[in-house]
Amino acid sequence: MSIKAFELVPVIERVKLMSDKAKTQIECLDVCGKNMYIGTSDCFVVHYSIDERALANGRIVYSSEKQGHKYLVVKKPVAQLRAASALNRIMVLCDNTLTLLNMFDLEPIVTGAKIKGVVCFCINDNPVRTNPFSVEICVALKRKTVQLYTVTEDRMMHLRDVTLPEQAVTVGMDSVTVCAALTSQYCMINTDTSQITDLFPIDDNVQPVIKRISKEEFLLSGPSALGIFATSAGISQRPPMQWSDGLTAVSFVHPYIVALNDEFITVHSILDQQQKQAIPFVSGVFLGDFDGRIFVASSREIYSLVPIPFEKQIQALLADKRVQEALELAKNANKTGMSREKFVKMFKRIQQQAAFIELSEKNFDEAGQLFKESEIDIREVISLYPHFLPSSVNFTRSVPALHEIADINQLSRSDEETKAAYKVFLKEFLEDIRGTSITHGYKLEGDVALLKLYAESWPEKLPELLADDPGCDLNDCVTWLERHNRLYSLGLLYQHHGESEKALAVWTNLSNHELLWKYVDWVLEKDEELGVKIFTERPANEPQSERLRPETVVDYLHRFPRAVITYLEYLIFQRRLEKEKYHTHLAVLYLEAVIKLMETNGSKKEELDIARSKLRHMLQMSNLYRVQLILGKAKEKEMHAECAILYGKLEEHDKALRILVHKLKDFGAAENYCQVNSRGKDPAACKRLYHILLSVYLDPTYERRDTLVAPAMSLLNNAEAEFDNVKVLQLLPESWSVGLLSQFLTRAVRTSMHNSRMTRIERMMARGENLHVKQTFIEMQRDAIIMTEDRVCAVCGRAFSDPTFVRYPNGVVTHVHCAKNKYICPVTGRLFR
Amino acid sequence: MSQSGKRKADLKVIILGDYAVGKTSLICRYIDGTFRKQDSTVGAAFFFKPWGPYNIAVWDTAGDERYSGLSHFYCRSAGAAILAFDLNCPKTFESLWARFGSILDAANEDCLKVVVGTKSDEVDEKTRDVSSEEGRRLALELNPDLDEAYIEKAGAPYFETSALDNKNVTEMFEYIFQRCLPLSADQHRRYKGKTSTIDLLEQSSDGGGRKKCC
Repeated sequence: MSIKAFELVPVIERVKLMSDKAKTQIECLDVCGKNMYIGTSDCFVVHYSIDERALANGRIVYSSEKQGHKYLVVKKPVAQLRAASALNRIMVLCDNTLTLLNMFDLEPIVTGAKIKGVVCFCINDNPVRTNPFSVEICVALKRKTVQLYTVTEDRMMHLRDVTLPEQAVTVGMDSVTVCAALTSQYCMINTDTSQITDLFPIDDNVQPVIKRISKEEFLLSGPSALGIFATSAGISQRPPMQWSDGLTAVSFVHPYIVALNDEFITVHSILDQQQKQAIPFVSGVFLGDFDGRIFVASSREIYSLVPIPFEKQIQALLADKRVQEALELAKNANKTGMSREKFVKMFKRIQQQAAFIELSEKNFDEAGQLFKESEIDIREVISLYPHFLPSSVNFTRSVPALHEIADINQLSRSDEETKAAYKVFLKEFLEDIRGTSITHGYKLEGDVALLKLYAESWPEKLPELLADDPGCDLNDCVTWLERHNRLYSLGLLYQHHGESEKALAVWTNLSNHELLWKYVDWVLEKDEELGVKIFTERPANEPQSERLRPETVVDYLHRFPRAVITYLEYLIFQRRLEKEKYHTHLAVLYLEAVIKLMETNGSKKEELDIARSKLRHMLQMSNLYRVQLILGKAKEKEMHAECAILYGKLEEHDKALRILVHKLKDFGAAENYCQVNSRGKDPAACKRLYHILLSVYLDPTYERRDTLVAPAMSLLNNAEAEFDNVKVLQLLPESWSVGLLSQFLTRAVRTSMHNSRMTRIERMMARGENLHVKQTFIEMQRDAIIMTEDRVCAVCGRAFSDPTFVRYPNGVVTHVHCAKNKYICPVTGRLFR
Repeated sequence: MSQSGKRKADLKVIILGDYAVGKTSLICRYIDGTFRKQDSTVGAAFFFKPWGPYNIAVWDTAGDERYSGLSHFYCRSAGAAILAFDLNCPKTFESLWARFGSILDAANEDCLKVVVGTKSDEVDEKTRDVSSEEGRRLALELNPDLDEAYIEKAGAPYFETSALDNKNVTEMFEYIFQRCLPLSADQHRRYKGKTSTIDLLEQSSDGGGRKKCC
């Protein structure tokens, strides 16, 4: 419970008196500015000048110089002595007589004004009448009376008397009330009405002490070493204070009450009535406070009780982790004349320090409360958590430091459980203050920290946080969310920052398909074409999942027409899924799109063309859709080009070509059709196809066949087209002149000639090759091989017993049964072919 | 409690009674809602209790004989006094007549005196020394100015309590407060059950007149 509130500093080590006789002792003293007056037991008044200096290290030291002294002749101790600086006088009570001395030369005043028969006196510090050049005093006389006087420079004017039941031993005064200790009890005397209010009895063994502590309030020494507070009205507003025995004097400097007894100076706080400090001090004779400075005297030495600065006391308490006391003290520090702003600043800082102490003690509730009250810069708190501040924020902790905590790792000594508790604290704290004025200006930091916490341990809270505009810094959070695999939230974050593309990219990667489904709706409603990328741009190595089966997706996408097209395109063109269902579906969708465009008046031709070419490409490329279904629809809408492709798919080339030639009159397309459909087929089928086209051209039943002569001719003359010339000649109408056909005929003859010559050359070359092989064979068979007894088989290493053997072209000789393959040498593995 | 000395109390309630009859326990039960072993009170102690818009200072005195000089002093300007005695100890009941009757002269003239028997949990009905009737009679005798009608309505200022079992404690205090600082039914509703929580809105509406704490 102890605080170091005061420090004892010597003022005058040994009072230098005129005669250095041993019995000279200090009886009383008063301090007035730099002047100190001492009354001694042998009737001297000594004047010192004292000087207070603060050393560089903050310590206070005093120097003193004796100014003069005065012997009062009566050989009695000086009982009381008070300076009245306004009057340049000192009031001295000696030998029951109150006299005035000049403050500077200590000479008695010329008028010789004095009051006799005085037991004690006191100055009214709160006088009703306020003449600055007078002092109101209360004097207790031997004859059971108290008297009030107004003292001026040279006179003491009697104001009034109040008669008492007993003699007063000591008195105190405030306003019109005199508090007096009579021989048997304390009482309050109203000097205006002369009414006396009894307080409580004084025990025989207690020295009465009266100390005015504030306006109309006195502190009295009561029975059983109690300090009792009493107001001018005679009641108590504070609980009593447990004191030590044998008190002789009491002083008060807010918030401390300092009491002197024979062995100690004790310091009590008026705030909690507890003793705070005890300074050993033997044989103290005097204790007094003068304008907030406390002086204490033993019989020959004088000390000052220098208050240790509030800040220092508080810091000492904080260092001892006595948070409550420190705060209590700090709260009252504004009574020491500090300006309001300065106090608030100081107090908040102390609260913050206290909060960190509470935090380190794991008193989370208290810490949170203090952080809030002190409006802490939340970055200070967050900075305890490594990596929780956004990387973009450059934060250095306040100097001087509020605490000595490195980070929570240090606090928790790397105990995971404790660490978790600290994180819970931060989470709750940040949640608590979120949106309050504390976070003002630091919303980013707060939200980022919260996000990180959530990402670590409370993922379920992330969406909620992200939902209401988090001031989150993007880069930092992204890394963090990625690290903790909170992809869904990461997407939300991107979304909030208007980066839909990235959001999509993230969701695309969501391995949790359940979560993905939760989100897809939103995306698709926002942008179908982008949204569908969630499905189309899946990571290549993703495991297959029931939830992402194409059927499911297609079913789901049903209400997003454009998305479903994109998805089907993806399935068919990229994944190359060969499922009739998808192909048909896509074809139908294409078809519908075309039909829709056709039916809308005024739709652009280009759009329609694009749509149709897409459809045609699809119809052409795929072989899997249900041709009849599409064909039905296409026929209905008279989409000839499409019908032609469809007939082609059905191998009904005649029909297809008829459409191309007769309906569309697109001869290029017709030739192209033949070319496309003959691709990869044998020349006969190819020829057949061209033949069909030609026969379509030359169809005698078609009434406008004259128009088709030119395309027919160009087809015949086309180098690409291949025909069975004989059949062509049969098909050609009799009426056509040779001149017309000369080009075709020349080419046909030449081709025919060429083929015949080429065939002949080939035959001759084959014969030559055959001869050559025969020659080699004969040469090889002609070699003789001499078999002897010691010749062994190259495979089994045994001698030959049969006349038959095998010889490979490379000279290896084996048994017949050892030669497993006549083309492969069993020893070298060489291949003969 | 540090600031409490500065706040102005609207009513001063003092509890008197012999040593160890359970005065502090009684107050603690009411103020803190707990029961624990108490050290003997030194001199006096006090507690603040909000009652509707009012502040009530409850003064606890030391029962020890050596502090009897102070009791008188602390009684001054008390608006109500609780005269506590131990139901199991007739001597403490007699003390109320002998010792404390006169002390209350210092209190307000219209001071309400409530006679309170403590430790009712320890009472054995068969062997009990102080009957309820005696207590009631003393209570009525000490409050000659209480009119019949009021007693008829609210009951006599006599209670048998147990701080241990929390029996009759709140009732007793509220009897005093309601008598000295009556709250209207409306006020009751507004303040009831909110004494320990601070309603910021509530404060701002009537807090203007109240002094700040520092």
